[in-house]
Amino acid sequence: MSDMVEVIVDKRAYNAEKGSLLIDLLIKEKIKVPYFCYHEALGADGNCRMCMVEIEGQKRPQIACDTFIKEGMEIRSTGENIEKVRTDILELELINHPVDCPTCDQAGECSLQDFYMDYGLHDSKVTVTEKVKHDKHIDLGSNVMLDQERCVLCARCTRFTDKITHTHELGIIGRGDHARVATMPGRKLDNPYAMNVVDLCPVGALTSKDFRFSQRVWFLDTVESICHGCAKGCNIYIDHNKLKYQDDRIYRFRPRRNDAVNGFFICDEGRLSYKELQEDRQENILFNHKEIGEDEALETFQTLLETYVSDITVVIDANLFNEEIEAILEFSKEINAQVCAPLEIYRDEAFKDEMLKSANRAANAKMIENLNIDTQMPAQSGLLINFNHPAEFEADKQIDFRTHQQTQGAFILPIATYAESEGHIMNEDGMIQLCQKALFKNDPVPTVIEWLEKVRS
Amino acid sequence: MRECKIVSRKFDLEDAHTLKVSKANGGYRTLEKLKEYSPTDIIKIITDANLRGKGGGGAPAGPKWELMPQESEKPSFLAVNCDESEPGTFKDRQIISKDPHLLIEGILITCYAIKAKHAYIYIRGEYKQYQDILQSAIDEAYEAGLLDACDITIHRGAGAYICGEKSALLESMEGKRGHPRLKPKQKEPEWYFGNPTLVNNVETIASVPFIIQNGADAYKAYGTERSPGTLLFAMSGHIERPGVYEAEFGTSMMEYINVYGAGIKNGKKLKAVIPGGVSCGVLTAKEVENLTLDYEALRNVGSALGTGGMIVMDEDTCMVTALKNILEFYHEESCGQCTPCREGTGWVDKLVGKILDKRGTKEDIDKLLDIADTMNGKTVCVFAPAVSTVIVSFIKRFRDEFEGAL
Repeated sequence: MSDMVEVIVDKRAYNAEKGSLLIDLLIKEKIKVPYFCYHEALGADGNCRMCMVEIEGQKRPQIACDTFIKEGMEIRSTGENIEKVRTDILELELINHPVDCPTCDQAGECSLQDFYMDYGLHDSKVTVTEKVKHDKHIDLGSNVMLDQERCVLCARCTRFTDKITHTHELGIIGRGDHARVATMPGRKLDNPYAMNVVDLCPVGALTSKDFRFSQRVWFLDTVESICHGCAKGCNIYIDHNKLKYQDDRIYRFRPRRNDAVNGFFICDEGRLSYKELQEDRQENILFNHKEIGEDEALETFQTLLETYVSDITVVIDANLFNEEIEAILEFSKEINAQVCAPLEIYRDEAFKDEMLKSANRAANAKMIENLNIDTQMPAQSGLLINFNHPAEFEADKQIDFRTHQQTQGAFILPIATYAESEGHIMNEDGMIQLCQKALFKNDPVPTVIEWLEKVRS
Repeated sequence: MRECKIVSRKFDLEDAHTLKVSKANGGYRTLEKLKEYSPTDIIKIITDANLRGKGGGGAPAGPKWELMPQESEKPSFLAVNCDESEPGTFKDRQIISKDPHLLIEGILITCYAIKAKHAYIYIRGEYKQYQDILQSAIDEAYEAGLLDACDITIHRGAGAYICGEKSALLESMEGKRGHPRLKPKQKEPEWYFGNPTLVNNVETIASVPFIIQNGADAYKAYGTERSPGTLLFAMSGHIERPGVYEAEFGTSMMEYINVYGAGIKNGKKLKAVIPGGVSCGVLTAKEVENLTLDYEALRNVGSALGTGGMIVMDEDTCMVTALKNILEFYHEESCGQCTPCREGTGWVDKLVGKILDKRGTKEDIDKLLDIADTMNGKTVCVFAPAVSTVIVSFIKRFRDEFEGAL
């Protein structure tokens, strides 16, 4: 155990690790401190000078991101002096800022806006009207757009490409108030994690080409979920909204901090995988390419079960929730069927990297292994019931439960995606995590569990 | 005023930049002394001599050398700061163009003391012609076998003022943007690629051979008790004979201006002096009347000795224009790393421009002071505090001129 010491912040005592950063304590204890450049994943850079606090015995205010905890330290984070310092520095930050919040995509989740509400709200001293002009519309590549005028030069984005991805695409060029973020000449922002700079950017300088102008962020509802792009189990927020007269829709995924899994980031492919959840969805019941009603479908289902009794194989997709897999296993026992979940098809070595991406592209493969389900391809059988497994199988008759449209299949039943129901999955490290239900569709399709209940009744 | 030539001794000799002339006049003789002294002995002599850094700050060199590890697995380095970019300062270029071998000799002694095997000379990009002289001197020294124990490499800067700040200088040498680093919390050397490094000004290093040759007391015989030795003071502006002349600390400023500079140009009256490069607060003619040139005296009048590069202004000088000139420089040169400096330098520049354009108001003058207060003491390096000092000193001393310009 490291050395814990007591410090006083605003007359209250706190315990903190000796030598750790003061700003970490302030953030952890939810003591209000404004900052642009500091980020727990990127460390201190000390350039924005917003996180000023007063420390007893020090003549001048100090930045909390470069102050190390010492025994008995006395810190003031409020008071007239410190508020003035923060106000003054914020005012400097705003001199050349375009203040184009009405057309800025960051509005509503912008640190500059938030701090202005905390420390601004005064008559500006700035009487000089001409602002420094920069480019407002630069396509950096990898779905990231740059507006140099809105930038506060916190250097989070450049530090991300330097320290996290080690790809060094971004840099700051120019000096003084002409300094700006840019890519190296002839280069684009091009790495599999590039879009994280959009989340890192505290202001509207870096925005997502995919998301910008699609929604005002204050209209979005947010749930917590797990990315299904691979077995890593990166924690995400799903931002969705149901516009009037329209259906509930996902507008973006954002990384959700989990130090045990993904830290602060997710890969771009995972981030954009929300699109798959609402494209080419299987919504109707199809029998021999013709749409049929639910009653007719259940009847056909029963008939097939009776016809092929004791010659049935059930195949499970390794992306389904634990709850769904268990329900399928129980059902399989009832109908005395063979169960398998072939995993080989999910291997994708080309996808794998050293950061977050796993070669195992099935979100819940670990659970399949834990439950000792057969992971080999099944032998030919009479009736095969496929719960959304992507492989092709050989059988006399086949029933397919599908989230997405497929060309194959004589008898297809639609099922809900992971965003349309709630359940748990186990990531490749054996951690069980919850996916909350994000979408409440106008015409919801049944989940696997709901289908099985219908079949039973 | 007695003549004292410690660093500038060989400046007036013909071809003093060549090894032949240098050696004929006592150059490199101090290296013999290294056989008598251990590295820690050398450091002790420098500490005893109270040699103060001549790059502007005036911090004692000895204690800085003591921070360098004598036992270390990592290699130690010396970085000689020749980024001389302070307006009004042009002394280091005299050394590298007139007596580069003195600098090389100083480097060899310093490297011996701090156990460095490699020294870099960070030279400002604009000094190409002086760099060529320095490089040929280094080449000569290599040929003569003087640099067997220690390599010297010239690193040419790309023209940013801030690279004269020691940590920005090292960042620049590492191939990064010249941004000052956050100050360490305890006393420690500077770091070059994670290796302990000593950064000293050219003149500081060039003063070392004299001290080692003649001893600490010989050096302390010059100057005042707390500011011992000499400095290559420089003069520019409205002066009959601008230039660089070595003088001991404690010399009367007016005497210096009148004797070496031959007085104010065209017999005009003196109005103001910026004593040590533009980053030091401006002083009125009255203030400099009895002022001596040493660190303590200048601090007592609310300015600083800086690099000793005096800018002399006569009675016809418009102080608002002078301030605008300086602020334009700072606006251009702020590195842009931290907010108060990046945005503040532009703001004050524009405000003073507004006053010059006769569009200013009385509030603008107070606003300048207010911004100066915000810029002071809240940044990574001392660039913004220097801007703040300059603004305050101009307005405090010449407020009537600013008000008259409205």
